[in-house]
Amino acid sequence: MQHDDNTTRRTVLAVAAGGAAVAASGAALAQQARAKGPLVWLDMDQQALDDAYDQVVYAPNREQIAKRRIANSDKARAVIGAPERVAYGPSEIEKLDIYRTKQANAPVNIFVHGGAWRANRAEDYACLAEPFVKAGAHYVILDFTNVDDAGGSLFPMVEQVRRAVGWVYKNAKSFGGDPNRLYLSSHSSGSHIGGCVVTHDWRKDNLPADILKGAILGSGMYDLKPVRLSKRSKYVKFTDEMEEALSAQRHIDKLNLPLILAYGTYETPEFQRQSRDFYAAVKAAGKPVELLVGEGYNHFEMLETLANPYGLLGRAALAQMGLTPAA
Amino acid sequence: MPTNDDASGHPVTRRTLVGGGAALLGATGPALAQRPAQPPRVKGPLVWLDMDQQELDDAYDQAVYAPNRDHVLKRCTRNSELVRARLGAPRRFAYGAGALEGLDVFTTKAANAPVNVFVHGGAWRTGLAANYAYAAEMFVNAGAHHVVLDFNNVLETGGDLMVMAEQVRRGVAWVYRNAASFGADPERLYVCGHSSGGHLAGVLLTTDWQKDFGLPPTVIRGGVCGSGMFDLKPARLSKRSAYVKFTDETEDKLSPQRHLDLLVAPVHLVYGTLETPEFQRQSRDFAAAAKAAGKQVAVSVMESCNHFEVMEQLGNPYSLFGRAVLEQMRLAPA
Repeated sequence: MQHDDNTTRRTVLAVAAGGAAVAASGAALAQQARAKGPLVWLDMDQQALDDAYDQVVYAPNREQIAKRRIANSDKARAVIGAPERVAYGPSEIEKLDIYRTKQANAPVNIFVHGGAWRANRAEDYACLAEPFVKAGAHYVILDFTNVDDAGGSLFPMVEQVRRAVGWVYKNAKSFGGDPNRLYLSSHSSGSHIGGCVVTHDWRKDNLPADILKGAILGSGMYDLKPVRLSKRSKYVKFTDEMEEALSAQRHIDKLNLPLILAYGTYETPEFQRQSRDFYAAVKAAGKPVELLVGEGYNHFEMLETLANPYGLLGRAALAQMGLTPAA
Repeated sequence: MPTNDDASGHPVTRRTLVGGGAALLGATGPALAQRPAQPPRVKGPLVWLDMDQQELDDAYDQAVYAPNRDHVLKRCTRNSELVRARLGAPRRFAYGAGALEGLDVFTTKAANAPVNVFVHGGAWRTGLAANYAYAAEMFVNAGAHHVVLDFNNVLETGGDLMVMAEQVRRGVAWVYRNAASFGADPERLYVCGHSSGGHLAGVLLTTDWQKDFGLPPTVIRGGVCGSGMFDLKPARLSKRSAYVKFTDETEDKLSPQRHLDLLVAPVHLVYGTLETPEFQRQSRDFAAAAKAAGKQVAVSVMESCNHFEVMEQLGNPYSLFGRAVLEQMRLAPA
């Protein structure tokens, strides 16, 4: 990526300025040394906006946590067993991993992973499954294409994830799931996709409008305009149509489920604002929505709380499904 | 709250800043991170294993290897507040006359339930029970009472670790004798601790309960020591001796590894792969020594976790730390 050099330098500065403990303010500190350019979004110039859509600037332990997630996922599979891997569509990547609970006719939670729309695979999120499986829910982790393989378009990912949800609804009974108790959880760019899923008009697909009974979207993006203005447009080929169709905040009229949004106080300014603004807009529209703020958590640490039934996200996801940690 | 204070001087601050690179660079750790700040330094005489004084000092200074120390500690303090908001304030009992000789009890609903006693860390010089309540909900929901001990720190005891050891021992003896008063089964008393609390938990597990307290040797049914220290010699050789007044007696009496004959309960050791070399070695060596002595010992290594990230995971029943504690108590992760 074109900005990699700058990012690395600024990150090092940010870290040198006070370590991870103040990483949240690191980028801002580092920026004091340079002249601010013309504003491109709210009070941000280009560099500030680019930083606000670059997680590592604010979360210097990104790689460490990714490594931990992968190691923990290996361990989780050793405990709960390998998932059933099933195709929901014809292409190679259109598959999903089902971690089954023992209960019959159990509720199902479907997870959409993040990775700036570019990275990550379902198998490396198995660490999220155990709290759900032990609490009496099936946990389904989706694979789907990425923006690079999709020629820069976000539409294929959104379309695939919607189709996967439809597949789970139609096939839930085949793995002991209750099609009338489907829930969604997601993180980061997965929550952007999740936003597009919960504001989808399912009737167009001959599916019930309330196919999902609830969703918890962590650390997501719900209006693509600032993202489009950021350096992410180097690899996402944004169009007016894409920005409009895939900005969940502009389709709240179709939102038809209780929504939980969450962000951490050490996330980038934009990743905090996106959730706050979407929350305010949903609330203003008179729809049921809750906002959770993880005090002291950065972007990647937020997801780790989903792997803990007593963590911020894990607790909320189970409660939304009417489950308690004690199975 | 812990601070960067270090009686031995300023280098901690410099190295801490540099240590920040460890997080950025992930698992590569301080070897890489230290490069920019420590322009080729001549290694001094070895003072412990293959370490010179600075390396040993670094190996007993968590912030050098865990740049997000304050970040995680703050989070645990906040999560402890949230636990109290959900469970209600704990019951507070005094186990001694001193102001800090008290303990917090988060009670479970089950009758005659097992009890877990937690000993917090903080390099022996910081920390309060109130900020280590974050794991209480896991215990209570799984059907165990959770006791969090308060005790004096080494700055308050004039540098004497024996006073602290004596306090946590009295705390455990109090729990054993008074368990029934809050619905606990004294015959199912377990301990766990982290960091310097992991050291003190090791001391508890190698205490002569019969001789010193007139209690059965099986007062403690099992213990989990997270990121602890079990032989004080290298700690004594490190800059920690600037604030701990080690003597030959404290080093010997409070090195659990030298009292394995008194270890009668199963012990489970937990540490992270991003901890300091010494905080990894201490657990490994204690496990090897306990095993060689024919004791029941298990080890869980938490990948890609530093010292404080291990600590935080005590509150997660599906982490290796939470799992170790619950499994030892024969409770299902709930």
